[in-house]
Formats: sequence, C-alpha cells, structure tokens
Amino acid sequence: MRKIPLANFLSEKGVELGERCGVEIPLKFKDIKDEYQIIRDNVGITDFSYMQKYRIPAETGLDFLDSIFVGNVAKIRFCRVLHTFLADDQGNIIADCYIANNDEDYIVFCESIVDDKNLDQIFEKNGSKEAGLENITDSHVVISIDGVKAWAVVKEIFGSDVLGLPYLSIETYPFEGNDISLFRAGKTSEFGYLVMASKENADQLMKKLLAQAQKHGGGLCGCRVHDELRLEGRFFNIFAEGLEVKDPLVLGLQWMIDFDKDSFIGRDAILSRRKHGLKNKIIGIRADSSSGICVGDDIYIQGEKISVVKASCFSNILKSYLGLALFPIEVAYAGLEFNLKSSQGPKVQSISMPPIVPKSLNVKLDEL
Amino acid sequence: MESTLQATIDRRIAVINPIKEELIKRLNLPYKPEDLHEDISLFGAGLGLDSLDALEVVLCIENCFKIKIPDNDPSILRSINTLADYVLAQKDIQKGTQ
Repeated sequence: MRKIPLANFLSEKGVELGERCGVEIPLKFKDIKDEYQIIRDNVGITDFSYMQKYRIPAETGLDFLDSIFVGNVAKIRFCRVLHTFLADDQGNIIADCYIANNDEDYIVFCESIVDDKNLDQIFEKNGSKEAGLENITDSHVVISIDGVKAWAVVKEIFGSDVLGLPYLSIETYPFEGNDISLFRAGKTSEFGYLVMASKENADQLMKKLLAQAQKHGGGLCGCRVHDELRLEGRFFNIFAEGLEVKDPLVLGLQWMIDFDKDSFIGRDAILSRRKHGLKNKIIGIRADSSSGICVGDDIYIQGEKISVVKASCFSNILKSYLGLALFPIEVAYAGLEFNLKSSQGPKVQSISMPPIVPKSLNVKLDEL
Repeated sequence: MESTLQATIDRRIAVINPIKEELIKRLNLPYKPEDLHEDISLFGAGLGLDSLDALEVVLCIENCFKIKIPDNDPSILRSINTLADYVLAQKDIQKGTQ
C-alpha cells in the first residue's frame, strides 16, 4: 500500500486512515455529519494525496496525452484544465483525471481504480518513457480546499487574484521558496481548489491552510464525506458508481469524450457500444428518511425486478436517502415511482439530479 | 408497461428531446441527443457552458415551450432534467389556470 506523506500530521489530528485501490487515504476525523456541515457551511481541508500525479513537457506530452485520454488534450487552452478519463482496451473507465495545460508542461491528476503499478504500466505500454512522463506521485502532495468559504482561505494565502480564476483553471504561486500549483476544481458543488506542493512544503502548507480554514469556522475532513458530497451534487465518483458500473456511456460520461478523435485507449469498444445504443442508464433515486437505500438493493416496477442500486448516501440537506441505480433505458427517466428491495417494498422515486441547491451557487466571486 | 407509467414517461420525453436537440443546435455541441445524459451539469463541470451560453439556454426554453425562465433562479439551469422539471411544472400551472 502506498503511504501518504502527511499521514503523521493527520494522525496527530486524530485521523482514521484506510485504504482505497492500493493507496492510504484519510477516511475521517470525526463524525461524517460534522465534516459534511464544515464543507457545506464553511470550508474543509482534505488530503487528496491518494491521487496519482504526473508531469510531462508540453513539447512531447501533447501527442502522448492526446493519444491515450478520451478527451481532446490539444484543445486545452493555456492555464486551463480538462476533466476527462482514461479507459482500458475494453472501453471501461479506469481513472478519472484532470489534465492541466501549465504552459511548458502538462500536469495530470488521476483518481484511479487500478493501483499505481498498473496505471504506470498502461502509460509505459503507450510510450510514456519516450514522451518524458514523470511520475511525481511520491514527491508531491495534493490538498483539497472545499466549501462555501474555500475562496477566502486561498485568497488569504495566495492573494486576491485567485478570485478571478475560472472553474477548471490552473495557476502557479510561490510558496516557501518553491512553486505550488493551484487548480480551481472540485466535486462538492461548493467552491473548490486543489493545491499541489512538493513533499518538503507539505507540512507547512497544510498548517497554513488549516489555520486559515479554522479562522472561517472550517477544519480537517476525510475522503469519506466527499463520497456523499459528490453524490448530492451528482459529480461522477469513480470510487462509487464508477467502480460498480465501469461503462462510461452507461454512467453518462459522454461529455468527457471527444468522439471525433482518431485515437484513445478503448476507442473502438466505446464507439461500438455507442453505435449499438444503450440498454441501461444510471439515474438518481430518492427515498424518505425511514427507508434507507443501500448499494446492491434491487428495484422493482409493477412486480418485476428491473434495477440495482450502484451508489447511495444519506443527504443531510434533503433529510432523505439518495442513490444512483442502473435502469433499463425504457424507464430511465426522472419522476417515476418504484419499489425498493421487493415488489411490495418501500417506495423510491427516480429524480432529477442534482437535487440540492448549494450555498455557493448564490455567491458571486467577482462581486466580493 | 402500465399506461399511466408510459404516459408519464412520454410526457417527459416530449420535453427532454426538444431541449437536447435545440441545445445541440444553438450551442453547436459535438454530440448526438442520446449522448446527453439528462443529469449532466450544464455549467462548470459537465458541458462547461458559460454565461453567454446561459442566454442561449434560456432562449432555447422560451423558443421550444413559450415559457419564460426567471433570471433570479440559477438552480433551474443546472441540468437538462432541472430544465425539464421547470417546464413540466409551468405546463401544469398553465393547465390549471385554463
């Protein structure tokens, strides 16, 4: 298992560590509900160093990255970030990725459901050594700052111009004698930033971010609460529905794919499935607070089993359970009623996602 | 399939399909209607539309359904499904007042 550089620091703060896909992760610090409120009402600091991190020179990296990822890397403008994914030869998703055009090089963050070794092997098989791909996973940390007040934390540390960063952009800032990379990106529906720093600066950066977050009523969070936040905001979660379903078309990830590109890993399989049309689609469901929704629960309609739950959580905003389930295409629509667990089981409704309105939606950074 | 269930699905399809076709046409999106999951976020993550595109989305709904979208409620514009919910709710209101 790969250890994360900030494990000691986080342990001193009372973290419960766990493992996900061969990497150590901070699961939680306190009650998940408290961490949830920290992000929805204030700002949470989470160690995302479980991500695989790479750097590649722009000169050699463009063709390499464009030939393997499903998105169009050539179209990423300077200082912008592309959200895309990496598929295997069968066209199934294996890593959810951000690719940043940082002028002289590209920076790649991966959330992968294969371990570090397997991911590296896929890159090597496709020419990563010749292209100059540098794996910086062990030498760097990534810290996520999320919440309705996340902007205030990064503004205090990096200056007012961070407020002008558009969603999915990257900027470089000096920090303690080194450069750090700041991504404006997140999957909580609130404001979100990812900071990448070298391991030498990790403790100092974490302390500074945490001190600022605490000034705004925030604190440390684990990765588990992000699973709930992602589902509430209907952000794709590779560690939940991604791991369960794997087919990007069934998952509704067509928006990450450039179907006109000549090559990417899994292209033939994905295009073939697209041509033949979908038989199933993943959609949102909701049940009242008295009946929980669990991954693996069957869903019935008119006495017939038609679906299985692939992701679930309790929504603190809605005070009800939410889930994602795989429905036959004929009934994969919001606004329908089904039975959970048995043909006479509790009612669940298929719903429009996202079902919540985050506080950040009504904050205008350019007016602050 | 039970007729009331099919009627509910047909009513939703009658709103979703024109929205998808009109968005693809107006915004020159490189997708087929079936590529667009109804829950895709229209702005930020997902399709990544900007504030200028927002005007096109509003015009799309007004053009397709003759329904006005209030400019003080950004939550309506989050996804194709949230747009469809708003259109269907407005149609219900119109039906109730006739």
